Amino acid sequence: MSRSREEDLIQQALLRGMTQRRLSRRDMLKYAGIGAGSISLASVLAACGVEGAKKEELGLQPLPAQAGELSVANWPLYIDKNGRDEDGNIVSGTLDGFAKSTGININYKESINDNEEFFGTQLRSQLGSDTPSDWDIIVMTDWMIAKLIRLGFLEQLHQDKLPNVTANVDDKFKDPWFDPGNVHSYPWAAGLTGIGYDRNKTGRDITSINDLFDPEFNGHIGMFAEMRDTMNFVFLKNGIDPVTATVEEAEAAQKELIEQRPLVRGYYGNDYTDQLASGNLWLTMAWSGDIFALALDQADDQDLRWILPKEGGNRWSDNMAIPRLANHPTDAHEWMNYVYQPEVGTDITEWVWYESPVKGVQELIAADGKDKPNMAKLASDPFVWPSEEVLANAYSYKNLSAEEEEVWQDLFDSVILG
Amino acid sequence: MAVVSPTAPAPLGDATPPTRHTVRSKRTKWVVLGLLAPALLWLLLFWLWPTIQMFFVSLQTGSFEEGYTFTGNFAIYGQVISEYSTQLIRSVTYAFIVTVGCLLIGYPLAYAIAFKGGRWKNALLFMVILPFFVSYVIRTLSWKFILADNGILLGPLKELGIIPEKFRVLATPIAVIAGLMYNFLPFMVLPLYVALEKIDHSLLEAAGDLYSNKRTGFAKVTFPLSLPGVFAGSLLTFIPVAGDFVNAQLLGSVNTTMLGNVIQRQMLVNNDYPTGSAISFLLMAAILVGVLIYAKVLGTEELTG
Repeated sequence: MSRSREEDLIQQALLRGMTQRRLSRRDMLKYAGIGAGSISLASVLAACGVEGAKKEELGLQPLPAQAGELSVANWPLYIDKNGRDEDGNIVSGTLDGFAKSTGININYKESINDNEEFFGTQLRSQLGSDTPSDWDIIVMTDWMIAKLIRLGFLEQLHQDKLPNVTANVDDKFKDPWFDPGNVHSYPWAAGLTGIGYDRNKTGRDITSINDLFDPEFNGHIGMFAEMRDTMNFVFLKNGIDPVTATVEEAEAAQKELIEQRPLVRGYYGNDYTDQLASGNLWLTMAWSGDIFALALDQADDQDLRWILPKEGGNRWSDNMAIPRLANHPTDAHEWMNYVYQPEVGTDITEWVWYESPVKGVQELIAADGKDKPNMAKLASDPFVWPSEEVLANAYSYKNLSAEEEEVWQDLFDSVILG
Repeated sequence: MAVVSPTAPAPLGDATPPTRHTVRSKRTKWVVLGLLAPALLWLLLFWLWPTIQMFFVSLQTGSFEEGYTFTGNFAIYGQVISEYSTQLIRSVTYAFIVTVGCLLIGYPLAYAIAFKGGRWKNALLFMVILPFFVSYVIRTLSWKFILADNGILLGPLKELGIIPEKFRVLATPIAVIAGLMYNFLPFMVLPLYVALEKIDHSLLEAAGDLYSNKRTGFAKVTFPLSLPGVFAGSLLTFIPVAGDFVNAQLLGSVNTTMLGNVIQRQMLVNNDYPTGSAISFLLMAAILVGVLIYAKVLGTEELTG
């Protein structure tokens, strides 16, 4: 942004004004016997502007020695989980296996409820001010990876430290639109956004995005708080390809969402699953694997189902990446490499019910399916392992520029802020 | 000691002989300053300084990625007023309803504890603050379980056919207001209790001697003397409720969004600091106006008790 002369003058005047104010206050403080040395000129200057968060990308950084420590942030219910131990840590075969085979002490937290919230609370101010975040590995959806790369917030990966990954990653996950050449990220799991519903509550089969706009379900409809997922649904409803949607179409989508709003129970992140399981929501935008997993232990009077609307749904992957200035990048590479072993991927996928990007996992699950009917179901599920036919009806997100994102986000905010 | 007159503070250092009047008053000044210093410093560092800084931030323009620079953009106040007037009116309305509701519930409670509590006084007071031993967010979350559409309260009623299947409390203004009232009730009860507790019972006896019945005694003696408690309790309830976002977030829906939720989203999710700051000032101004009107109506001399 180019600053005009007047603005410069205003800045100087402001600075002068604030410095003088500071001196007079200091006199007052001195009278009370307290120095104001702690209020430095630097902090006065800092008050005059908030620095931009955008950073130069650092390029490939040399890796330090392994630290034996690792912090991973992931979404809830996204790893094979056996409850928690008395300290509240997640008990998981995969986590134990990793700790044993590498000697790295792993701190795995289910800290991500939605991409924007995690970005806003855990990454933005830390990375924007050149301090490391709390995490060595984060798992973010494709469009957020694109944004993080744009901001220079991700470390480049040392591909030579990831032999399992480069050997086992399924071809369809190579070189994605949001991270050309997988320079910064590899997928953790992939899935679809569709509609999850309780057949007993709705009283009829749900087939279309229009069902989310049906007044019959007033107060029991759930939508997503993330702008892209929700806007995409309106585009699809209107027969628009989300990837090429224009700002006019986004404005029209906003109007429709505002009209729909009185019917909506809430705009959710991953917490929509609790609302569906407890019966508060009858139908909601939903991620495929969540509903399959919920249906496995649904209540007796529930009949939870997931569908890809006939107009189409969203196709996404959640991707592991190392945030800029991460404390333990070497250990982070170890983690990525570990989870890309087919056996480990199988353990995870059999629990989370999302598509694994690791080659050979589907076959291993099918082998387990010989004596476990649930696993046979998982291995052959057309929505966990989407066929060409399903993928033809699954759409990605528009790659928004910073300016577009601001406009679209404003449009969407006026929807979800009531 | 029933009524302390609202004149100058009681002189400190009474032991000093009156002949050294000038010396004493000078020393008193230093003592008062010394006593005030920690609070003044605290206000300066954690209230005044951030407030000034936030005011300047609210006048900045730019974007999160490129940074915000000061441009003296006063137009933002017009923008946020027109854009978020719904939430502003909603916040103030909720805060008003909650304050009146807490007063209606809290006054009889505080009165009962102070006048009829007897040896149970401390135990009863302890029960008022007992919920504070559990985190605010957890208490609010538990309301979410209690009020769930098929939860322990509504579930059985629906099965019995007493209320229709579609009936719900969660995600309505009632749930948000009820949650706020529950969470802020102790802030009303405690100041009321303190005000009622210190009322000299011989004043009521005197009223009785002057042929007032119990009702008149309450109206002419007890209630006026408890007004400082009503005022303090109302402020302690109204101000935080107007800025609360937890209850609306957990118990409400998009149709109950309060100004606190907007500030939270602008600051933490959208990283739009100027808008967030401007809304914060808007809320502050609204609260200040409300409090000033209230003080005017109640009469400022009641403030000091």
